[in-house]
Amino acid sequence: MPRYHRGMSLLRVERLSKAFGAIRAVDSISFEVRPGEIYGLLGPNGAGKTTTISMVCGLLKPDSGEVLVAGEGFWSDPQKAKRIMGVVPQELAIYGELSGRENLEFWGRIAGLSAREAKSRATELLEALMLADRAKDAVSTYSGGMKRRINLGCALLHRPQLLLLDEPTVGIDPQARLNILEFIRNLLAAGTGILYTTHYLEEAEMLCQRIGIIDHGRLLAEGTLSQLQERLGGDRVFVLEADFKNTSPEAWEGFHQRFRVIQKSERQLVVAAIGARDPSECLKALLDLPVQAENVTLKRPSLNDVFLQLTGRELRE
Amino acid sequence: MLRVLLSKDLRHALRNPLPWLINLIVPLSMTLLVGLVFGRHADSGALGRIRFAVVDEDKSLLGDLLCGVTNQSRGGKHFDPVFKVREAAMREINADKISAVLIIPTNFMRNYLTAHEPVSLELIKNPAESVNPAVLEELLGVVTTALNTISRNFSSKFPEWQTGLEGSGDYNKAFFFMERTGAKLMLTPKYKNFINPPLVSYETEAPADDSTRAAAAKTGGSQSDAISGVFSYLLIGFSGMFLLFIAGSAMSDLYRELRQHTLERYQTLRDSLAPFLASKAVFGVVMLLLCSGIMLGGGGLIFHIHWRQPLPLMALTFGYACFMAALFAVFVALMPDERRAAVLNNLAAMGMGLAGGVFPPEGLPAFVRQHITPFLPSFWFVTTARNLQDGGMDAAWGWAAFKLAAVGAALMALAAMLLRRRFQSGLRT
Repeated sequence: MPRYHRGMSLLRVERLSKAFGAIRAVDSISFEVRPGEIYGLLGPNGAGKTTTISMVCGLLKPDSGEVLVAGEGFWSDPQKAKRIMGVVPQELAIYGELSGRENLEFWGRIAGLSAREAKSRATELLEALMLADRAKDAVSTYSGGMKRRINLGCALLHRPQLLLLDEPTVGIDPQARLNILEFIRNLLAAGTGILYTTHYLEEAEMLCQRIGIIDHGRLLAEGTLSQLQERLGGDRVFVLEADFKNTSPEAWEGFHQRFRVIQKSERQLVVAAIGARDPSECLKALLDLPVQAENVTLKRPSLNDVFLQLTGRELRE
Repeated sequence: MLRVLLSKDLRHALRNPLPWLINLIVPLSMTLLVGLVFGRHADSGALGRIRFAVVDEDKSLLGDLLCGVTNQSRGGKHFDPVFKVREAAMREINADKISAVLIIPTNFMRNYLTAHEPVSLELIKNPAESVNPAVLEELLGVVTTALNTISRNFSSKFPEWQTGLEGSGDYNKAFFFMERTGAKLMLTPKYKNFINPPLVSYETEAPADDSTRAAAAKTGGSQSDAISGVFSYLLIGFSGMFLLFIAGSAMSDLYRELRQHTLERYQTLRDSLAPFLASKAVFGVVMLLLCSGIMLGGGGLIFHIHWRQPLPLMALTFGYACFMAALFAVFVALMPDERRAAVLNNLAAMGMGLAGGVFPPEGLPAFVRQHITPFLPSFWFVTTARNLQDGGMDAAWGWAAFKLAAVGAALMALAAMLLRRRFQSGLRT
């Protein structure tokens, strides 16, 4: 099986678009995933994450744009591209009546392994996924977290170089989620490139080397966590609480030269300082604004703040 | 690949056998039910004795002769007439003790022989029964045809007959007239052709060759063959339709794969859907062969049907099973909504069954019979299987089986293409 060095793209997506009737589910998205990297596609439900993954793995045919897997167009040889990929769908795609081992062996055989290879690889994965003691039990008797782990394992039998994970931790408890995230992080050591979609900010922050923020089918921003935070003008934001019902920052003299408004509501104003300025100076300037300030908080900007700035709404909405 | 997929489906079926059992129980129940209703009549290779009442209000010698025909000699094997007055006969039919009441009205013989006015016999059928009253009605049709024939050809002798038969009712005279009439009928070819064979009967066509004729003779003679011919005709037709229902149910396993996203996962690993669909078709075909075995084999045991060409019949059934499995795979590809598909599957099965000749195709509307039925694979199966059973069209079963299997293969390719297209345009369950 060929190995891919860090500089090259395992997956390159160029101006990918897909519409369902009048709805543009994905609108000219471009990004790339390199070996040994987790690229996170972060966005709310309905943003176009699953549609993007479906096009990348060939389940959906794009209206326009191109998917290159290891430098070759996906549609020029779909079976070759599929051999390089492992796909973990958002929904559980396993057989409840079969045991964990049987599921793994079956999907291994479908991926092209011999019976012996599938058996030995299933044993390895059952150990790694901490399911060896339940290997012979029917999957229908597993907990939600265990089912998610088997669902993940079924995509790994053929040691894919590119792993597409579509919200693999949806609907499970925090401990099970941590186990899965740890397992995924360990896959990087083998040089696997991972495309990881999620709507959990913490997962993207914890796991991904680079993050693309997607909403309404468009990729709004992309970069490392610090690059995205930089977009807000530094490593801190100020949250000012007051009554903003009858006032507007546009009316305040010199405000827009010193601060960038990230979000404004009737009770809250989130701003970032423009340029490298002393935090105490910024605080003083905010307290001098012509409003009765009730509270001013200083915090590190999160991905949610970036999302807020890009879309005008919180990711959790 | 196919072996891996089949072994997965086999494991699934063993651990969750309910859908399989249900699909097997349906034909079993149907066969048992039909067997319970009709099977006892088939025990002797015939319908059993049909009990009916004769109300002879004419009290003439001709009435006695008519009654005698039914309970003498071979008639006695099949009919059990009882002589009643009208009220008693009606009480019995209302109590469901007899199959019909035959009324010979007053002055029947006189009016028949003098031809002064039209005469009629009255048959009151038991509405709670279906087969026996129908048999009696057909028999009465034969009797009236014979009486009409005699009336048309021997009317010049009727005055002499009337003199001899009226009054004291001399049986010797009656016998003399019958003997003379019978001899004349048998010697005159045109009469013989008109009366024999009867216009209505349950006889089927004679076996095509000597060997099958001999085999038929060994297995019980023409009477039981005639009865088993009726049941085999019906059984083949019903099987043709019920197998379609079962095929729809068997192939619904594809919906399970769609529902639990395993078909989707398969597509992320394999470019071609054909092996996956083929494995489902193999399971569907096995299920259908088992069901057809239950219906045709079990029905054969119950009704003492001797399947004359079992191997060609099996090959034909195999071809039909291939066609049915592929047809309903296409339906799955066309209709992602499982509940809506179930209704449409049933309608399609019923439509194909009825238009394909479950019942005698002669009963279908002319347009359907001429422009639709000949193109239906259900018709190819039913007609060819019936012809095989009748001993005719020896060479055509191979072509019919090939046609059915070929259409099945084409439909399976279509199903794979349609399903792939639906996935690529955004099929979600």
